[in-house]
Amino acid sequence: MTSPIILSYIIYIYFGAFMLYLCMLVMGKEVLGRLATYLMIPGFIGHSMAIILRWHESYKIGIGHAPLSNLYESLIFFSWTITLLYLLIEWRTKNRTLGAFATPLSFLTMAYASYSPNISSRIQPLIPALKSNWLITHVITCFFGYAAFAISFCLSIMFLLKQLDRKPGQNTFINIIPGSDILDELNYQMVVIGFFMLTLGIITGAVWAHSAWGTYWSWDPKETWSLITWFIYASVLHCRLVAGWRGKSIAILCFVGFVCVLFTYFGVNYLPGLHSYAKS
Amino acid sequence: MSATLYSLKMRASFSHSTQGSLKMNSTKNKSGTNLFLRLFTSVKLTIIILILLAIVSILGTIIPQQEGAVKFAQGLDPNTFRILKTLDLFDMYNSAWFRIIIGILALNLFVCSLDRLPATLKRYRKLPKPNRTRPFENITPAQTFQLNQIPQEPGIKIGTFLKKHFKNVSEKKEAGNHFFFGQKGNFSYFGVYIVHFSVLMILLGSLIGSIFGFEAFVNITEGEQISAVRLKKQMGSMALGFEVRCDKFTIDYYKNGAPKEYRSRLGFLVDGKELDQRDLLVNHPIKFRGITFYQASYGSHPGETICLKILRTGDKTWQTEKIIHQNLPSELPDNEGSFQVTKVKSDFFGMGPAALIEVKPTHDNTIHFWIFKHPEMAKARLPEAMYNSPKFNASGYTPYTFLFEELENRYYTGLQVNRDPGVPIVWTGCFLMIFGFFITFFTSHRRVWVLITKKKNKYIISVAGTASKNEVGLSRELLGVTNNLKKLFKDEA
Repeated sequence: MTSPIILSYIIYIYFGAFMLYLCMLVMGKEVLGRLATYLMIPGFIGHSMAIILRWHESYKIGIGHAPLSNLYESLIFFSWTITLLYLLIEWRTKNRTLGAFATPLSFLTMAYASYSPNISSRIQPLIPALKSNWLITHVITCFFGYAAFAISFCLSIMFLLKQLDRKPGQNTFINIIPGSDILDELNYQMVVIGFFMLTLGIITGAVWAHSAWGTYWSWDPKETWSLITWFIYASVLHCRLVAGWRGKSIAILCFVGFVCVLFTYFGVNYLPGLHSYAKS
Repeated sequence: MSATLYSLKMRASFSHSTQGSLKMNSTKNKSGTNLFLRLFTSVKLTIIILILLAIVSILGTIIPQQEGAVKFAQGLDPNTFRILKTLDLFDMYNSAWFRIIIGILALNLFVCSLDRLPATLKRYRKLPKPNRTRPFENITPAQTFQLNQIPQEPGIKIGTFLKKHFKNVSEKKEAGNHFFFGQKGNFSYFGVYIVHFSVLMILLGSLIGSIFGFEAFVNITEGEQISAVRLKKQMGSMALGFEVRCDKFTIDYYKNGAPKEYRSRLGFLVDGKELDQRDLLVNHPIKFRGITFYQASYGSHPGETICLKILRTGDKTWQTEKIIHQNLPSELPDNEGSFQVTKVKSDFFGMGPAALIEVKPTHDNTIHFWIFKHPEMAKARLPEAMYNSPKFNASGYTPYTFLFEELENRYYTGLQVNRDPGVPIVWTGCFLMIFGFFITFFTSHRRVWVLITKKKNKYIISVAGTASKNEVGLSRELLGVTNNLKKLFKDEA
């Protein structure tokens, strides 16, 4: 199994890119940001190859399945979706400041997956409950949703940092961050994507649960927490689209929303429930 | 959390005044409308209910629910228990108050949607005049071009092009200017209604399921059949109207010992006649006569037979292995007497399987003693008794030693048995929700105007537009229209 080794090297690449994005932000030198991008792209390609390799390896040892079946694999995939989404935004907006906020999430998730003593990087066979065609769709939709919310969280922090700045125009660190309106608009777009994917994730999960556990909804803690997250982001959308909120209050709600996402992902493991295979 | 809610309420009440201008006008300043309407048409209520649902749902994930609650409740002091019990917190998702909150949300959704529908219909139907000049005020140079050759009537071609790509195309000629208007995507205003309707549908589906459906479970031992199942919520059993037989239950394991597959071979019988025989696996439920069976659990009982090995002290060549049915006496060699197994325990006080042997010698008193499948376990637990008590002496009847070789196990399969007539409605609701989201978020109402201005021998053609959302998408579309129009006339030249 070489994929965990490759993946543990990717952490350093992402870390390096993060440092460069951060330096760009502090020193205001665009060239550093470009270097960071040049580091991120091969890192991302390597990351993707390692995931495919892991898939291939699982077939070689005779228990072939998509690498989305346990906590290690889901963390690696989570990091992959954040990186992909970030790179797409960088490409579309031609702005690199988000990098200093998004790449730490990428490498921290990877580092947690690789170095936590409680997480095994071994390829494990699928238990009967996970043997379903819905596994891939359910996990992919959920994690793209989580990733969009993670980016929304980064944008909210950037927004709040910009708000905190008392003397506008003096701090390069703050200056280089795009204007509040752009952040707010981009944040809204991320919430829309995240909400759409989370809805798909919950629905595919319900369809799967219906054939695996016999009910489409059983108030299992993970289901409940994903619904809580859904409620929070539903209220974000209503606040923005109907009540016309903008800016700070939306940023704070998105912050709360991402805390719920994290709890849906990790916190639930400390509660009893049916989703126990996502624990280790 | 409560601080957030507080600030939310503050903001909600603060922004209430701006609300009317944004999307709905119908409730504004109607002092005559009763409190009920005013309350249920407000988005403030929606947001408060959503946040409230989020907060109370957390309680149900912290306090164990239903079956899990029993153990948890035993560790509570009586007062706490009484409070939690009164508030229905051990089964909160099925409690009246939780359903009332959901009901309020549903009513709020329904009233809000109904209240805003007329305004939306008006927006949907409204057609602006083609000869509007305001959209052209801030167009980019890329949205305009000149035609040097004078093709006959550029207006006809542009009209057909617009009719092909847009709806409600209209035109107007006015003082040397030829205006065109076209639009698309005005249905996108209804996306949000589809989403809200889908939520109501999902709630309706789950309500139908909880009224007309049932959830039950049943264990079937291999080789046996059942005709009734145990209901989960109502307590009690329910006849299926047919029989289900379990022919075999098997577990497959991976090399590392993790379970690979649980499989029950089930037969379905009506009036004793077998109509269907199928294998039930996890993730692959079986439906028979409207009732769905799911592989949920399994277990085993000690069976009727055990395998014994009998040794004879001082005679190394003599030994016999026997499969013995409980309570059926077997003969000992040379008419010495008989023995039988009178009791079998699959787990004798945590020391593994054990059997009670009764030996009836022809010329002596009856002897009873227990033998263990894992005597080493028993010796570790109860060394005193194992070495000294005749009750645990496997060589209690000289010269024989009885060894417990194998206990026959019979598996039973645990099935979840459901009927839920609400499921198709829930799935339709889910599908509509995705469809509605797609329309709401990823389509927009775009209105396009084209203006042909004649200047001497030239025509200047300009393209402008507005969109209900996604300005970036609009400008891309306008550029596309401009380029396509250019191409249209290039081909002719």
